Amino acid sequence: MSKSVRYTSSPLLASKTPVWRSKFIVAGIALAFTGLVGRAAYIQIFDNQFFIDKGKVRFTRTLELPANRGRILDRNGLILASSVPAPSIWAIPEDVEASKPQLAELAKLLGMSLADLNKKLADEDKTFVWIKRQVDDAVAKKIHALGIKGIYQRKEYKRQYPEGETIAHVIGFTNVEDKGQEGIELAFNKELTGRAGSRRVIKDRLGRVVEDIGEQVPPVDGKDLQLSIDSKMQFVAYQKVRDAVIANKALSGSVVMLDAITGEVLAMANYPSYVPDKRENMTGAQLRNRALTDTFEPGSVMKAFTIGLALESGRVTPQTVIQTAPGSINITGTTIRDAHPRGALTVQQVIQVSSNVGTTKIAMEMQAREMWETFSQAGLGQKPQITFPGVVSGRLRPYKTWRPIEQATMSYGYGLSASLFQMARAYTVFGHDGQILAATLLKSDEPAVGVQVFSSNTAAEVRKMLEMAAGPGGTGQKAQTLGYSVGGKTGTAYKQVGKDYGTEKDRKYRGWFVGMAPIDKPRVIVAVMIDEPSAGKRYGGDVAAPVFSELVQQALRMKGVQPDMSVKPQIITQAVEESL
Amino acid sequence: MTRLNLVLLLAVLASALYLVRTQYESRRLYVELEKAQAESRKLEAENERLQVEKRAQATPLRVEKIAKDKLQMRTATPAITQYVTSREDAVTGANEGAAR
Repeated sequence: MSKSVRYTSSPLLASKTPVWRSKFIVAGIALAFTGLVGRAAYIQIFDNQFFIDKGKVRFTRTLELPANRGRILDRNGLILASSVPAPSIWAIPEDVEASKPQLAELAKLLGMSLADLNKKLADEDKTFVWIKRQVDDAVAKKIHALGIKGIYQRKEYKRQYPEGETIAHVIGFTNVEDKGQEGIELAFNKELTGRAGSRRVIKDRLGRVVEDIGEQVPPVDGKDLQLSIDSKMQFVAYQKVRDAVIANKALSGSVVMLDAITGEVLAMANYPSYVPDKRENMTGAQLRNRALTDTFEPGSVMKAFTIGLALESGRVTPQTVIQTAPGSINITGTTIRDAHPRGALTVQQVIQVSSNVGTTKIAMEMQAREMWETFSQAGLGQKPQITFPGVVSGRLRPYKTWRPIEQATMSYGYGLSASLFQMARAYTVFGHDGQILAATLLKSDEPAVGVQVFSSNTAAEVRKMLEMAAGPGGTGQKAQTLGYSVGGKTGTAYKQVGKDYGTEKDRKYRGWFVGMAPIDKPRVIVAVMIDEPSAGKRYGGDVAAPVFSELVQQALRMKGVQPDMSVKPQIITQAVEESL
Repeated sequence: MTRLNLVLLLAVLASALYLVRTQYESRRLYVELEKAQAESRKLEAENERLQVEKRAQATPLRVEKIAKDKLQMRTATPAITQYVTSREDAVTGANEGAAR
């Protein structure tokens, strides 16, 4: 004590401290604490959301639960299109650390040259670059095993089409984002696409999910779509039309096969086609589903409807004789000719030999309105009720604008247009006892209810004529097939080139055949078209009818229809020694 | 009084530690569940992929090619088909026996 400094000796401190000063300090500190406590209470109790949110951001994550795109199946449940995982490889160029052999291995796995790979990784400024999108799952695993730093994978799905080009026009394809771009994939994109779900989770330091918070929204997978197509018949159809197009050096060919009982589309094929997985260098022409999007003048195929109407209205009977000599007829200054002049023909024979003059003579006794109504009911000039992109309605002008010559040409199929699909559907009138069926691409289990166009009696009479047309003395004999009775109408038309049909030398043809089998109780209706055959043969009976024959043979066998015509059995009845 | 407090303190401590353990265990199990679910998704995707592959291996094109080239089969026609109806099973069955 003795040596201590005597502060109080300082004159400044000698004065007595007033009590309020220390009280003031204590009060000040107390106030500060109260403020802190108040603030803490405010943050913790009253306005706690802000910091709760801040905290959540640091440990909760919203995960997207991807939905799968629905599959497309054929009528027997076989897969026509399905999504499979196909990871995409991406990189952060500046982070990539890899040795030369590692990069070489990576390039090899991706099927690209090392130079290409290096080029992609060269731009170090970029923080993101796709190396390759949608690689095979197996390849992705191998890449993962390489363990190169800076190379990452993103989970993506890729559409696989096991049937490839045979059904490409019907199914269409999706883009890299798994969205439908063509065909069924586009038409039913909404149904096929699922709805992604989400969930909020807490993740730990290692990125593992440790807890769910709140409710999760489950993903809704896209619906599977079952088509009416039979993939085996589709294959046969594609194969036959391809062979016919190649053999006839034609531009293209299409075929449509309908079930005559349900109206379902069993097969629809076009050649040339494309492989859905390899779409580089593809042109619009290849992409079109010609059977649905291209129209043409149906020609002689229409005669069946003109005659059907004449029968229905009681103007003629199948045995009524029509004089077609001398093979030409003059309608308001224009001459209509038969390719081969004939004399007197019965109505049946008019169809059998496909006489333009005979059909015209019958048609000129009818009113334009009646013909227009029948053609409309048969679906001409009407857009088919089918969900498919680019479906056309064809052309059928209102009857009030028809001139007499037009009524005449329309009776044998010129001056109006339709797609091959429309023609196939129109023939359900004859195949389904006078009713036109609504053709569908989706499998239906309900029996088809059609709209009556002709009486079932008329339909049966026309069927008989169609059978004659495909029989001896008819235009479509090559449509005959072993074991089954067939009937159908051939058609050959000059293609309209520019304004007219071209001159004799540069005329372009189109040959087709529309028919059904077995003729008494049709099960299938098949329409075949070969565009611009240029290997000598050009008539529908020569280029299209053989396709019909082969296709019907296979289709009826696959459907298990018993032959209705006797065949000379070739079953070997003696035991043959098996070759070893 | 002090003894009771001590006992209670110990009880609280034990309960707290147990809670920590349970929480830990629950999270561990949750991680396992997650893993299993991820595995199931992966297997499902794999299954889908294999089904498509199976289908791709059995396309009509391939079947026909192998049947024709490798197995020397040909397309059946009505001429070499014997049609049987279920009522006449007995009769045709006998015929078939003869055919062999």
